[in-house]
Amino acid sequence: MSGPLLLQSLILGLLLGGLYALLAAGLTLYFGVMRVVMIAHSAFLILAAYLAWFFTAQTGLDPLLSLVITVPLFFAAGYGMQRALLSRLRPATLTMMSVLLTFAIALIIEGGLGYLFSGTQRRIQLGYSSASLELWGARIAVVKLVAFGLAAVSLLALYLLLKKTRFGQALRATIQHREAAQLLGIDTDRIAGFGFGLGLATAAVGGTALALDATIYPSLHWHWIGPLMAIIVIGGLGSIPGAAIAAILLGVTQSLLQIPMGTTWAQTVFYLALFATLMFRPQGFFGGRLAQRF
Amino acid sequence: MLSASRHKTATHQEGRTSSGRSVLVAKLVAAAVALGLVLAFPALAPDPFILSVGVVIASYAALAVAWNFVGGMTGYISLGHAAYSGLGGYGTALLVTEAGVNPWVSMIVAAVLVGVAAVPIGIASLRVRGASFVIVSIALVLILLLVAQSWSDVTGGSNGLRVPRPFGTDVLRPEQHERFFYLFVALTLVALVLWWVIDRSRLGTGLKAIREDEDKAQALGVPTFAYKLVVFVVSAFMTAMAGGMYALWFGSLDPIFQFSILTGSYLVLMSLLGGVRSLLGPVVGAVIVGYAVEFFKTQYGDTQLHLVALGLLLALVVLFMPDGVIPWVTAQFDRFRPGDTSIREVDAAQLAEERKALEEAKS
Repeated sequence: MSGPLLLQSLILGLLLGGLYALLAAGLTLYFGVMRVVMIAHSAFLILAAYLAWFFTAQTGLDPLLSLVITVPLFFAAGYGMQRALLSRLRPATLTMMSVLLTFAIALIIEGGLGYLFSGTQRRIQLGYSSASLELWGARIAVVKLVAFGLAAVSLLALYLLLKKTRFGQALRATIQHREAAQLLGIDTDRIAGFGFGLGLATAAVGGTALALDATIYPSLHWHWIGPLMAIIVIGGLGSIPGAAIAAILLGVTQSLLQIPMGTTWAQTVFYLALFATLMFRPQGFFGGRLAQRF
Repeated sequence: MLSASRHKTATHQEGRTSSGRSVLVAKLVAAAVALGLVLAFPALAPDPFILSVGVVIASYAALAVAWNFVGGMTGYISLGHAAYSGLGGYGTALLVTEAGVNPWVSMIVAAVLVGVAAVPIGIASLRVRGASFVIVSIALVLILLLVAQSWSDVTGGSNGLRVPRPFGTDVLRPEQHERFFYLFVALTLVALVLWWVIDRSRLGTGLKAIREDEDKAQALGVPTFAYKLVVFVVSAFMTAMAGGMYALWFGSLDPIFQFSILTGSYLVLMSLLGGVRSLLGPVVGAVIVGYAVEFFKTQYGDTQLHLVALGLLLALVVLFMPDGVIPWVTAQFDRFRPGDTSIREVDAAQLAEERKALEEAKS
């Protein structure tokens, strides 16, 4: 294994980890506000990627511009989904039933995409698609850097929103203790809806980033949901920093393992790490009180 | 007044037991008629295609009942039971083709092996509740799909495996369908009897306690982890039996269909639609969903609309009848009956008055 190849894998792993981190943060948000495992997250990711592709195919503009439409659209969809569907479920069986409900939504999205756009693989052709930077012998595609930048900026924005604004405080209060937050005058139902909207907005950003340098097809979301689920369990359900660290670490490991093992077997690292975590530390590595019970 | 109300409940209960016996008789008759219809199906089926659809539905029924060991009794919903049916199928196929074992023996051996493999999986996934359990069940299917597609020396990769027919070449296709239909029905009946036995045992009571409130069950001394593990292994074993039988019937295994989350979700939908708490719920669900799935496949063929239909159906069931269609229908009938409830329908003030009246009567 040569030095530049190793460096290249390391950098690619970091870049991929950034995207994983953003998406895992979205999943963590849903879990935080409602104790819901959102299976449809990656289906929305692929939906956003398809919307970006469709936007570019129709208008010829840069797919990044589609964010202007998809982010508000997904935020509204997330809010509506939480208010209209998930909050109807019985509290006693919420965790299980929400899994099934979001699974159903994932199937509807996959089927709908397959029906509208057919199962053909799609790819956005851009002027800078083949451009790449060279860094000590490692070649890094520009689109991957753009995708990572998008993910990093969104994560930073999410962090600032949660830490610095009144809305963020209210959201965190709702996550920590719903009843106490209500006693302080926070409209927790609305906040939970917004939390869901934010989570879905990360899928919109992630999907656009994904569309930049990946070939997309309707059933692709199954390849994303497994790793993402593994990441949030390993990081500890409900912990955004935990999810981000696990995402970066696993992204890099996957990328490094691809050299000796090939892409397919390298993907198993997520599942092996998931089983090991559950065997030795079921609450995950950064999860607090919340993670132990779910 | 108190005595009057007591009297009333007493007569009500008496009424229930005598009507209970007639209900039992009616239920037995209905079950016998249903079983008779099921057994007569191969003779009634107009052509081999319909017969093969019947075999598929019977296999779904066996799988759904096997799923319901975990899903119904403990409330732990697994979306990844295709992992066990797929492993059962692959195990059977490999034992038949590579080791030359008798097909029926290999089906049972494969199922036992899957049951053994389910022990560590159960230990890992049952330590956590709800969400993580589902995640592990999905992850298991995805990992097995990866392995089945990549490890082509053993599993045949994406091409899958061929399984030779268990009956001789002189048994024609329609007759084979007929035999397998009866075999699947028998497997379903075995699973149902096992479910019924567990349901009425101490184990079943403990499992249902876990379903209702795991913390309280544990506090009352129910060995929750051991109970969950036992029923998890039983479920994996029965699922693998059905998977192995499917492999022998269908004759070829494709990893994409064997290790598919979609198959797992069919099982969940069937059990949920029929009602996870009832014995026959999963069977009823399997008939409805199995028929619907086959109908959609022939009607809309290659389009992805069947996914949309499955998704919509699942969402509707989860939102509007999470207890299943049998309890839902019963509830519609119960509307017209006198209500029976264990909740005392008097408030504190009325109770105080009653007591006062009683004391006055005494003195």
